[in-house]
Amino acid sequence: MPPNPTAPRKLVLYVAGQTPKSLSAIANLERICSEHMPGRYEIEVIDLKENPRLAREHSIVAIPTLVRELPVPIRKIIGDLSDADKVLVNLRIEGE
Amino acid sequence: MSAAEIAELRRRLFEAEETLRAIREGEVDALVVGADDREQIFTIEGESESYRAFMEVMGIGAVALDHARRVLYVNSALARALDLKASAVQGRRFGDLVDADLAAAIDAVLDPAPGSPDAAEVRLRGPEGDRHFLVAARPLRLGTVRGHAVTFTDMTDRVEAEIALQSERAARAVIASANEAVLVCDLNGIVSHANAAARGATRVEPVGHAFAEVIPLEFRRSAGFTGAEDLVAGAIGGASIQGLEALAPAAPIVKDYLVSAAPLQVSDDEIGGCVVTMVDLSQRKAAEKQQTLLMQELDHRVRNTLALVLSISSRTMHSEDTLEGFQKSFTARIQALAATHGLLAERSWADVSVGDIVRSELAPYLQQGGDRVSTEGLSIHVAPRAAIALGLVFHELTTNAVKYGSLSTLGGRVLVRRLEGEPGSTLVEWREVGGPAVAPPTRRGFGQTVIARSLQYTPSGGTEVEFEPSGVVCRISIPTEDVRSAA
Repeated sequence: MPPNPTAPRKLVLYVAGQTPKSLSAIANLERICSEHMPGRYEIEVIDLKENPRLAREHSIVAIPTLVRELPVPIRKIIGDLSDADKVLVNLRIEGE
Repeated sequence: MSAAEIAELRRRLFEAEETLRAIREGEVDALVVGADDREQIFTIEGESESYRAFMEVMGIGAVALDHARRVLYVNSALARALDLKASAVQGRRFGDLVDADLAAAIDAVLDPAPGSPDAAEVRLRGPEGDRHFLVAARPLRLGTVRGHAVTFTDMTDRVEAEIALQSERAARAVIASANEAVLVCDLNGIVSHANAAARGATRVEPVGHAFAEVIPLEFRRSAGFTGAEDLVAGAIGGASIQGLEALAPAAPIVKDYLVSAAPLQVSDDEIGGCVVTMVDLSQRKAAEKQQTLLMQELDHRVRNTLALVLSISSRTMHSEDTLEGFQKSFTARIQALAATHGLLAERSWADVSVGDIVRSELAPYLQQGGDRVSTEGLSIHVAPRAAIALGLVFHELTTNAVKYGSLSTLGGRVLVRRLEGEPGSTLVEWREVGGPAVAPPTRRGFGQTVIARSLQYTPSGGTEVEFEPSGVVCRISIPTEDVRSAA
């Protein structure tokens, strides 16, 4: 059964406490989502400083990293997401 | 290997390369190290932790901002000053957390225009009043992040001290500019401030000494104060004392003052000393003395004048045969006296010139034009006593000339001039010419008595009359002591 196209898709952002890049990535992602795709993604922020083991699920190495789980294949965007165009291309929102 | 496996390997290779690129280009600041239940997070923020610790112990407020001016870290001193919750502001734009004025001031120091200062003074309203801060910004690199450190140095104490200093300067300027002597005393009656006028009231430098020692004062008994010490103590005790006349016996020049004293109110319910002001009364005292003298002088003159009027009245009565004659002569003489009085009044009873007296008596003949009367060298100034006597003498000479002498005919003339006489003497000659032939009178009337006696109130004064056939000649010796100047 195909996923419901109107249900928000989940984006997982891995951060490490209050590091500058982590703070920056959170702020950038919130801005991109609200400006370019309001209501289509829901964001889950995972602080690996509090629970490092959660890195295992998506084999996270560098922080911050944004993971788009669906649609497959899984996509990872590494960095503070300050380049909005790069983020949008990787989320492939144009074709969807 | 299947196509799907190749695609998965490609994806993992891309991901590995992307991770390396991101690390190399500084896009990440933490790494997950270890595996198999031993994952650890290793941050690559550089010295930021120690920087934060350092910022925290500093007394000044500080905030670290990234390139987009988001808060990376705010220390507790600044969070307190701005009423922010430190943990809730990280990642948010600093400009959104503070009021517009402060945001603009911070933008200005982060992007200073060329030549403008890289620090700004800002005022923050707080529950305990305004606080003043010097805001400065310096570039900062935290690990892989470039941003700015913005510091807030609390200058409130310095600003308040500066305001207090300016206020003190203004108060000093007010005291210094006052015309009155102003002295400020502390609670012990020691002078702490004194202006130039106050320094003129004492022979020693007053600051640092007890007021009562440097400026002893004597009051009238009715004032209720025994002296300066009593006055100062009263003002420090809260009494406001206004306008007491006092004598300052130790003052070098001015000794008469109008003294006021009031408590120095440093706050609503606290007295810090007293302020004494002293107004110079010497001019008022001198004016009062002058007024008393004038009153006495006026009294004296009125008595003399009344005596003179009585004398003129009684002599005129003896020399006139009819009531009409008496009335005419008496009136003319009183008018002559009034004319001289008028001259003296115009000059505040100071000196008048002989020329003015002559012109006042001969005014009708001077107004006729021509050369019936000529005067020469009469700018001799005489005292009021001599002026009144001369006024009467010239009146009698004029009356005589009009009745019998040179002014009784159209062609006659009168010449009044100063004569060169012996040194120290002042002689004026009245000479009639061109009138009818003159013979000495058979009867000596009042006019002649006046002419002969008026100036004899002193040995150097007097007149000589000669009835020469060509006209009357009268030589008048003005009393030496009443001649003020002979220009």
